[in-house]
Parts: sequence; structure tokens; C-alpha cells
Amino acid sequence: MTDQEIIDQWKDQDAPLLPVLHAFHDRDDYLSEEAIRVISTGLKIPLAELFGTITFYHHFSRSKNGKATPRVCTGNVCRLNGGKEMLEALKSEGATPMPCSGRCDDMVPVLHGDQVLVGSDANSLDHRATPLPAPNPGGSEECVFRHIRAEGRHTLAGYRASGGYLGLEQAVQGSPEALVEIITDSKLAGRGGAGFPTGVKWKAVAEAAGNPKSIVCNADEGEPGCFKDRAIMDHDPHALLEGMILAAFATGAHRGFIYLRYEYPETQGILQQAIDEAHAANLMGDNILGKTGFHFSLKIVRGAGAYICGEEGSLLNSMEGKHPFPRNRPPFPVTHGFEDLPTVVNNVETLASASHIARKGAQWYQGLGLGDHTGTKVISLSGDIQRPGNYEVPFGFPLATLLHDWAGGPRDGRTIQAVTMAGLSGGFLAGDDLEVTLDEPCIRGKGSFLGAGGIIVFDDSRDMVQAAHDAMAFFAHESCGKCFPCRIGTQRLTERLNDSGGDLALGDWKDEVEDIGSVMKATSACGLGMAAPLVTESLLRYFPDAIETHLSCR
Amino acid sequence: MNQLAEEIRVGTLTLDGEPVDFREGETIYEVSERCRREVPTLCYDPRLEAFGACRLCVVEVEGIRNPVASCTTKATEGMVVRTRTKTLEKHRKTLLELVASENRDTKVDELSGYASQEMNDLLVRYDARTGRFGGKRSGTSNSKDKNPFILRDYDNCISCYRCVRVCAEQEGDHAINIMNRGFDTQIITEFNNDLRDSSCTFCGQCVQTCPTGALTDKKAIRAKDTPGEIKKTRSVCTYCGVGCSVDILTKGDRVVGIHPAMDGPANEGALCIKGQFAFDFVHHPDRLSKPLIKQEDGTFKEAEWDEALQKAADGFLKVREKYGNHAVYGVASGRAPHEAAYTMQKFIRAGFGTNYIDNCSRA
Ligand SMILES: Cc1cc2nc3c(=O)[nH]c(=O)nc-3n(C[C@H](O)[C@H](O)[C@H](O)COP(=O)(O)O)c2cc1C
Ligand code: SF4
Ligand code: SF4
Ligand code: SF4
Ligand code: FES
Ligand code: FES
Repeated sequence: MTDQEIIDQWKDQDAPLLPVLHAFHDRDDYLSEEAIRVISTGLKIPLAELFGTITFYHHFSRSKNGKATPRVCTGNVCRLNGGKEMLEALKSEGATPMPCSGRCDDMVPVLHGDQVLVGSDANSLDHRATPLPAPNPGGSEECVFRHIRAEGRHTLAGYRASGGYLGLEQAVQGSPEALVEIITDSKLAGRGGAGFPTGVKWKAVAEAAGNPKSIVCNADEGEPGCFKDRAIMDHDPHALLEGMILAAFATGAHRGFIYLRYEYPETQGILQQAIDEAHAANLMGDNILGKTGFHFSLKIVRGAGAYICGEEGSLLNSMEGKHPFPRNRPPFPVTHGFEDLPTVVNNVETLASASHIARKGAQWYQGLGLGDHTGTKVISLSGDIQRPGNYEVPFGFPLATLLHDWAGGPRDGRTIQAVTMAGLSGGFLAGDDLEVTLDEPCIRGKGSFLGAGGIIVFDDSRDMVQAAHDAMAFFAHESCGKCFPCRIGTQRLTERLNDSGGDLALGDWKDEVEDIGSVMKATSACGLGMAAPLVTESLLRYFPDAIETHLSCR
Repeated sequence: MNQLAEEIRVGTLTLDGEPVDFREGETIYEVSERCRREVPTLCYDPRLEAFGACRLCVVEVEGIRNPVASCTTKATEGMVVRTRTKTLEKHRKTLLELVASENRDTKVDELSGYASQEMNDLLVRYDARTGRFGGKRSGTSNSKDKNPFILRDYDNCISCYRCVRVCAEQEGDHAINIMNRGFDTQIITEFNNDLRDSSCTFCGQCVQTCPTGALTDKKAIRAKDTPGEIKKTRSVCTYCGVGCSVDILTKGDRVVGIHPAMDGPANEGALCIKGQFAFDFVHHPDRLSKPLIKQEDGTFKEAEWDEALQKAADGFLKVREKYGNHAVYGVASGRAPHEAAYTMQKFIRAGFGTNYIDNCSRA
């Protein structure tokens, strides 16, 4: 395609910047200065602004052949599994590191152009599908993974064979309000990390003034140690689509977007195929299922490598082609979302759950939880554990049972020293606190949170100060740079964990780390900066001796 | 201050225990300012959209767990706000210590720019330990940018993005932006080129809003070591008819720099390259300081004003006598202020009885 053809294809569509940048990046293997000038003129974005925005994203290359050079995951799990050695081995091919790319239950992933290869070393790299969740080890009833293992589930026919789109068909017989009520009654809450009640969100968008409304699926899954959304999208894409169509019906939205992280190129193909099938079957498009006026169409917007773009305000800015800083809140996306119009932003797992709930009902979903807890949560488990992978657990499920019974416990001859919560954002749990149950009230009671459900295991061979350093270095790498406490705080905390902050005595070290942590928690502009100090806070809580040893050995 | 007229009052909140009225759309910060609370800020410029970067302006609001940024949060009915608790003041001090730790210098010369003392003033007010929090510094000085007006010393940049925002929102120029993210952010032009190769018009507004002197007025800073106090004199820019208000900075009898007047009714803190930077003519040796009269042989002779004016008047009269009223055509300078333009047309209309009066900037 010529420059002009690319511009013409996108310039009058919604959210054109990222697709245009990708089109040039794919065509030329990098973003040349000339391409950037053409895009600036074509999309009427000031050149300096466009240039600055491009530099925000990790994966846009500005040197020749840059897209093709391998990117090796040296993320917080992969560096336990040989990621850094892999990077060294591929240096001769120009390899560069990338943070966790959402495949921590596998060997080390390497992004080669638009292909993900995995392997334990450079010689064993091989292309294979995203691991399928193992059959539920406890035999407990599932929601999200209920049918994911069924043969051909990713096709429309396979999806329908196990009851797919029945929920939607049922829902359109009734009113949007009735659907909102079911979702509200189910007590489904956001699975992307913040846990906001989904029914309340849909209702707010349904009632908000302003059109067109949008449904945005947050498939950015950037949290290290989280890889559940990938499994859902790769093996059960229609469950996500059905959830989005339901959300559209509930709210009156006519347009939808899936904001998909860059590191999932194959997923884009799978989703696009599912979208095309759904369109052909009148499950999307105009007058869906024969219902007059029910229009909804969907497109995929590919991200370009920025953890913060999973934060909903940043995601919306990114889609709009702006510098992807988070937005000041209030107002919230339900009234001022995409293009400042009412917008549902929901996580993949949330939306997939909604399609099961629409079919099986609120009472059924509620009943899946243990005790007073309602529903289920997919946990991405990785690190020093026998059987890493995605496990769907009922809320209220004991962590120890998951670790030891379901996932086979630590590697031979090892014991579990600590686990992370919410990927990295919840910091560490260790000692007696490994006896928690998997639900927010219990885990929040320990000063952490469950969030998106990523759990990384560190056994007794690991240096916890190093683990904390690597976690903080991730946050420093991903801090957007908008607000002072996080931009400077993540840097200073990282330095305090690798001693580049000067020769501090233990007392001063603690003083500084605690002061930085408390100002970040209290004043940061978004969840990244608020959560990052949980890493140091939990390190100080569980591993004071390790810190002392670390400081005295330098 | 605390009470507003009925027509503009939309609600009342409690500010540090006192009931205070607020207007439609007012932020907590604006209300606090009106009530002289002196909430500290670094990323705030009243002319710009509130941005929420520095977090110094955080206040406690009852019912909300974390403090909120007062600059980005709208006042609402019944809100209970505290602007200066012990915890807030401690957070502010830590924030200031953090931000001081990323810069090479915290004290810069006042001639750097209008807002250049903002950060240091706060460091002093909070008794912040500038040496705390050792580690890497952020920002890389771009001293190779050879433009004659703006020193881009990003070793002292705190990433408040006021420069970027003023350039976009006030000047409408979008010449500078933010490269990279996190601690690696840098202020750049497109492709990280020099300002000369960008769309920068050298209006200097970025310099004047910079709270640390990272952007420094190269012309003014020449007088850094000139002895004497800086005196500010309010005046109007002499360059064009817009009439931008300026504060002329002088040391002794020398003009050393120009500040835009933030309260100038025509410019509200804006200037253009000429008004901002082109003041060297004042003390330039080539500048005429006495009237000159052209001799028969084409050379000039120095004269006194009385003689020169008389000579000019004689010339005008001679023309009118010989060729009539309409032989005189007045072209006023586009640089003339209102009053001078008025006088000029009066001179032509009343003095010569003709309407042949025009302005040089008419296309
Ligand atoms: C730093 C940061 C990163 C986030 N990343 C993601 C993400 O990758 N995926 C996601 O669904 N939500 C993410 N979130 C949460 C979103 O802001 C938002 O709450 C969520 O997408 C809403 O969907 P839900 O209600 O279905 O969970 C992130 C939040 C923060 C603060
Ligand atoms: S907390 Fe961090 S990521 Fe969030 S806005 Fe501030 S700098 Fe950006
Ligand atoms: S001098 Fe004016 S135009 Fe140039 S960068 Fe600064 S604000 Fe923008
Ligand atoms: S140069 Fe000055 S105004 Fe611009 S971001 Fe840095 S400190 Fe702020
Ligand atoms: S895929 Fe490498 S750390 Fe997650
Ligand atoms: S002034 Fe409010 S955040 Fe900077």
C-alpha cells in the first residue's frame, strides 16, 4: 500500500492513529521519519506531539528492520526461567528485552515480528499455541473456563455446540434493563483489577446522556504474571464477543473496540476470525438477531507496548491518538469515555463471565463462590511451582490448596518463600499470610489485593530483595511520567533496592523507603503509582532480615 | 472572599472548618486561592488546563480515602476540605525533596524567567532537604541547541510539562512535546531537533512559565553578573498595536530583560519574539539618540529637537502651500500604540484637513 492509501483507509474511521502507525510499521519494518511526517499531515496531528507519542510505546521501532528484530521476555517470571540468558544468546540477531509478555506459564517467549516463539533456550524456540487451562484439578464448577476445553470451541460452530450465544438470544427477548439487572444481581465485579461492580457500570452507561456510546474491551493484560485473558481470547473468543454484544444491548452502544496488547499478535487473528464469523451470522452488524435498531460493530485496536495503557484513562487516550497519560478522574469513562462519550470499559474475563451469566442466571453465578463469596476468579499462577497455568477458583478458595494440591506445590526439594498478588501490583505475601483465602476482603486485610489474579511464586532459592528490585524496576520502566510521586518514586525505590541511591545506613534506608512509599500511595495520580510501593512495604514486612543482610553485604 | 453574591454562588463547602461559597465550575484549588490558603503547586499555571502532575496541591476531602489533587477536582456542595493537615504537609515536603533530587541546581538566577523561583521558594518554605534521596538525575541538558534566545537546560527540568502545555494551549504552536516515559521523559521538538528547526516562534512563553529555570532567557541571563538589584517597571511593548503589557527589568540604568505581564489585559502573559527578546536596540550603539538633519550634500548633522521639529514643520507647510491639503499622506506605524495612532490621525485630519491617513500594516 502507498502512504496515501494507508491514510485514506483509516483517516475517517474511529481511533485511527494506532492502526495507521501499525500499517506503516508492518509495511516498512519501522517508523521512518518520512512516514511520521506523512501521518502527521494525514491525520492532522502536530509533528512534535506525534513524535512524542510514538516514543511512549515500547514496541514501535524507529530504526530500519527494527520490527523484525527479536524481543525477548526478560519479565519477572521469565528471568527466573532463563529469559536473560535467552536475550544474551539472541544478541547477535539484535534482540532487545521486553517486559512480561503474558505467557509466564510457558517457556520464555520471543517475539519475532508477528510471531511468538517459546523455548527454554535459543535452540529450542518453537511456535505453539497458548497453553489451554488444565481440567479443573478440584473438579469445582467453573464459569469462564466451563467450556473452554471443548473441541473447536474457538469457532462459531464449536461455541454454539456448547451453548454459546444462547445467553444473547435469551437476553434480546427481554429488555436491556432486565439484562442489567441480571448482571447486577450476579454481583459480577471487574476482573481487570479494580473490582468495580459490572452491573452498576453498565447501568450508568445506559443512563448517561450522549451518543454514540462505546464498549471497550480491555485486553491489554500488561500486569506481569497475568496471562488469563490471552487463554480466554485464544481458546474461547466468542465468549468475549458475546459479552461485548450483551454489554452493547444493555447500554445502547453501537460501537465496540478490543484494545489488544502488542505482544499477542496471533490472538488478533483469532479474534478477527471470530468477529467475521459473528458478523456473517448476524450476531454483529445491523439489526442483530433480527432485532430492529440493535446495531453493534467491533474492531480491534492493537496496542504498542505500554503497561499503563491498561489503565482505562490511558487506554482511552491511546485509542484517541493522544499521549497515553491516564486521565484525571472524575469524570469517569461511564460518562466521559471514548471521545468524551459514555463508555463501558471492561476486562476480557469480566465480559466472558457476563456471557455465561446471561445464559445461566445470577443465582447460578453467585452460588459458585464459597461461603459468602460470589462467583469465580481465574488465577494465573507462575514462577517456582510444579504446574504453572490458569486456574479458575471459587472466591474464598484457600491459596495453599491452589498452590499445593492443584498446582503440585514447589519444585522438588524447595519450599515456597513468597508469592506475589495482583501480578506484581499487590506486592508479596509470605509466612503465615500464605494461608489466606482468595478473595479481596481477606487479601486486603493483609495489606495487599487480589486484583487481576496473577500470582508469582518465589521459592527459598530466590533472593527476595532482588525479586523486589525487579518488580520495582518494572514499575519504573512503565511509569508514564505524568505525576511526580510515581515518576520519581519508582526510580528512587528501584535505586534503593540495587544500592545505586548511595550508601545509606539501615535506618535512613528505611526512612527514605517508607516516606517515598507513603507519598506514592497517598498522592499518585493512578493505580500504578499507588500500588508500586506495596512491593517495598511487603518486603519490609516479611523480609527485614534480607534487607539488613543485603545492605550489610555491599 | 468566603461569600459570593447570590447570582454567582452555586454552593457552599467547608474549607478548613469555614463555610466558603463557590462558583460554577470552580476547582477546590481555585476556591482555596480565593480564600488565600496558599496551597503549594508546581505544575499549575492559571492560564492552562489543570493537569495534575506535581500532586503538591493535594487536599483531604472527607469521605474520600486518598487526598485529591485540588487543581483538577471540582468543588461540590457540602464538601469538607482540609488544605493543611500534618499528613498533607509531610507528603508535600517529601514530594519537594523528591523533585529536588532529580535536578542539578535548585537555586537559579531570577533573570532565568518569570516563574523560575517557584520551585526554590517552595523548597525554602518547606525546609526541604535538597540532598535527600540520592540517585540518578533526570533530564539531559540540550546546550547544543544554538538558538540565541532559549537555553534548554533540562538537567533542571522537573517534567511539569508547563512548557509543552503553554506552547499548545496559549501559543497554539505545538513545537515541543514529551519524549519517552517515566523517569526518562525529555522535553523535545519533533525528532529531537533544535528549536530553530521546529515550528517554534520563540515567543518565550515556555521560558516564562518554567518553574525551575530549566528553560532560561538567554538574553536576560547575560546580565546575571551585572551588579545591582533588578527593578521592574510596568510598560507597554513598543513593537505593535496589540499593546502587550510588559514588565521591563532593569539593573541600574540598563534594560536587562522583559517579562510579560501576567495581568496584561491584551496579552495575559503572552508576548511574541520581538516583545520578549528584541530589546537590545535600547542600548545599541547604532541607535540614534539625537535628531539628525540632512544637509544639501547628503550628509547628516546632529541637531536639537526644537530645530529638527521646526525643520519638519516647515517642510510640511511648504508642501501644503505648493500642492494643497491632499498632498500630505499620513502612514502610521503598526508599532504605534493606540494613543500615538490617535494623535497621528488627528495631526493629519485636523492639521491638514485631509482624510489621507493609513497604517503601515494594511495589506
Ligand atoms: C496501571 C494499571 C494497569 C491496568 N491494566 C489493566 C489491564 O491490563 N487489563 C484490564 O482489564 N484492566 C487493567 N487495569 C484496570 C482498568 O483501569 C479498569 O479498571 C478495568 O479495565 C475495568 O474493567 P473491569 O471493571 O471489567 O475490571 C489497569 C489499571 C491500572 C491502574
Ligand atoms: S501514578 Fe505513575 S503511571 Fe499513574 S499517572 Fe502517575 S506517573 Fe503515570
Ligand atoms: S518559545 Fe513559544 S513557540 Fe517556542 S517552544 Fe516556547 S512556547 Fe512554544
Ligand atoms: S522545561 Fe521547565 S516547564 Fe518544561 S517540563 Fe521542564 S521544568 Fe517544566
Ligand atoms: S511472559 Fe515473561 S514474565 Fe510473563
Ligand atoms: S498543582 Fe495540582 S497537581 Fe500540580
